[in-house]
Amino acid sequence: MNGCDQEQAGAGDGKAGGGGFVPSRRAVLVLGAAAASTVVTVRPALAQTAGSVLNCEIPIPQPSAGGNYISPQGELVPAGTPGAAPPLGRPLRGEEVKNLLRSGTTPAGVDPTSAQAYANYIRRLQAGMSGFTCYASLQMPR
Amino acid sequence: MAGPAYIADPESAVRAVAVDGLTLLFHAPSGMTHIVAAPAPEILGALREGAADAAELIRRLRARFDLDDSDPGSASGAGAEAAILARLDELEAAGLVRRA
Repeated sequence: MNGCDQEQAGAGDGKAGGGGFVPSRRAVLVLGAAAASTVVTVRPALAQTAGSVLNCEIPIPQPSAGGNYISPQGELVPAGTPGAAPPLGRPLRGEEVKNLLRSGTTPAGVDPTSAQAYANYIRRLQAGMSGFTCYASLQMPR
Repeated sequence: MAGPAYIADPESAVRAVAVDGLTLLFHAPSGMTHIVAAPAPEILGALREGAADAAELIRRLRARFDLDDSDPGSASGAGAEAAILARLDELEAAGLVRRA
């Protein structure tokens, strides 16, 4: 990695201001040669074969969220909240999620007016939540 | 300048930790971790202001940093743009930026 020995902007500050990127203390910035590489990606062992990815499942919401509804923004809200989508009766399969997120295709048996809420719920999944591994796998380039 | 414009995910989607001159980025939407060196974090920071093409990015970076003119890649003009585009290609391949 060519950039390791370059003067870093605020690299010695110890704090990444507000959890953001490297602090913006005014410093010399070297853009580097076009051929240099500045990004190394660490891929988790999440992406299995295409088959297993497409067969994984995402419950909506995750079982621990019980009967919560899903707001149009994808957030968990109390059951019966006006405008929110009810829990989905079955988990969505990876292939359905892929089609829903990429082309807006409503999975079979899903209320089209609720589909966007479910899509947004999936986009908000974080590590540790049921379905996150499946969702992350679907984001893999291959 | 009519090159492609790029945009980055919001800060809330990426956790950044500065480590020994490098920055570790955890990209929550993809679950992937990236180890990046300058100027990658600075480019991502500049893209937080909104979509930008290479020329606009250079303008934003110049507003925040002194670009090192001793490096051919950092000199004003085509060299800087070529370097920025190379960095953007890397960041796009990693999934950290996308075409706006």
